[in-house]
Amino acid sequence: MNLVAILILAQWVNVPATKTPPSAPAPKTADGKPDLSGVWEAEGQTYFFDLAAGLKPEDVVPLPWAQALQKQREDNIHGDDPLGRCLPHGVPRINTNGLFPYKIIQTPGLVVILYEQLNLFRQIFMDGRSVAKDVNPTWLGYSTGKWDGDTLVVETSGFNDKTWLDTEKGRPATEALHVTERFRRTSFGDLEIRATIDDPKAYAKPWTTTVQKNHLQPGTDLLEFICNENEKDRPHMVGK
Amino acid sequence: MTTAVTMMFLFAVAAPAQWLNFPTPGVPRTPDGKPNLSAPAPKTADGKPDLSGIFESPPGYTGNLARDLKPGEVSFQPWAETLYKHRQETQGKDDPQAYCVLSGVPREHVVPYPFKILNTNGMIVILYEALHSYRQIFMDGRKLPKDPNPTWMGYSVGHWEGDTLVVESSGFVNNEWLDNGGHPGTEAMHLTERFRRPDFGHIDLEITIDDPKAYTKPWTVKLRFTAAPDSELIEYVCSENEKDLNHLVGK
Repeated sequence: MNLVAILILAQWVNVPATKTPPSAPAPKTADGKPDLSGVWEAEGQTYFFDLAAGLKPEDVVPLPWAQALQKQREDNIHGDDPLGRCLPHGVPRINTNGLFPYKIIQTPGLVVILYEQLNLFRQIFMDGRSVAKDVNPTWLGYSTGKWDGDTLVVETSGFNDKTWLDTEKGRPATEALHVTERFRRTSFGDLEIRATIDDPKAYAKPWTTTVQKNHLQPGTDLLEFICNENEKDRPHMVGK
Repeated sequence: MTTAVTMMFLFAVAAPAQWLNFPTPGVPRTPDGKPNLSAPAPKTADGKPDLSGIFESPPGYTGNLARDLKPGEVSFQPWAETLYKHRQETQGKDDPQAYCVLSGVPREHVVPYPFKILNTNGMIVILYEALHSYRQIFMDGRKLPKDPNPTWMGYSVGHWEGDTLVVESSGFVNNEWLDNGGHPGTEAMHLTERFRRPDFGHIDLEITIDDPKAYTKPWTVKLRFTAAPDSELIEYVCSENEKDLNHLVGK
């Protein structure tokens, strides 16, 4: 962590951190909506490892095949994780890894999230479009957003069936996955995210995560992340 | 060529199916509803040209960024010329892009994949479909860092000179490929990109490559990009089901 902190400062040494205290109210855009823009990082890796952290066992009911697959992945110490092959995390996992920051850019009609890990980005369309019924399946899906009071509600579907919802558990998802993410900036320095997983092909009922806290990272920026460069890890990911 | 044509065709079919019939908001249109590419360039609230939108590179520069230049305009240092010849003779088998490493700049602007320019507060962001990457151009007055960690995309700061966005970039890795042909770039490379939007449908980009370690003098190329409204970027995952690398064996 120390090393990372030093590197970041060395890069944009001329950029002063904001003097606004984290407890100040969340800023607003010209249209009066909360402005989520900024560099953020999840608090720890709780949800990255286990998306159902804090839930009761009966809250997440996998169908038998999904339970078997999840157990197999867990028993195999997640050696088959696509992320270990430089493949995208999927949603909402992409927001959950507290080792890497992400940057929200809010423009009229479009919210973009740039991710440091894997150099990925997501576009969240706010212009009223809806996702087509039969889209090409993707790792990160197709996202549209709308405001519900002060909460940005992002609906995403159009996933392939290869994404893992979390790392340690290896919970599966299918092409039927529909994710609802609720982003709320509770103060200048804090962003809360809750995700609802609705995937009737893998889970008997939709389930909603507990609140993941994210913190603003002032005075810093994203670094370039190249997964395939000088990659030495994959041969060691042999499972059991 | 057949492969290229097939791919283009596939893409054309795939794109409309994703955001079915959704017209890009804010696009000037002719009476028949088609995007009017010759309409005036849009402006942002502060009166500057608005470069935002999806654009496609002109065809033909992927293999050779310098294709329009006369012999001698790209004047290699001897080692760079040797390396360039080697890359040509080995048919690009060591191309970092083939290993799913980023294309870098300016190469991202000559590959046959669209990119999207976003205007935001204090920053212009370019999202590239190719290799699913992005680039931030800081417009808040900061200077280029003196001793940056080298990166494939470099560090970019921009400012306006009249209607021209001038972007200065440095901090590149030592083994950049400026095009598929393998024009080398080094850590000494400094890029100056001048973006102009003469009308809604086009961006003119002038790129000056100043890399005294690789070239005896700076050289400049001019590219014209065409807007691609009513379209979107498609997810590009280089590492998925990758079958090409073991065919890249050179000669």
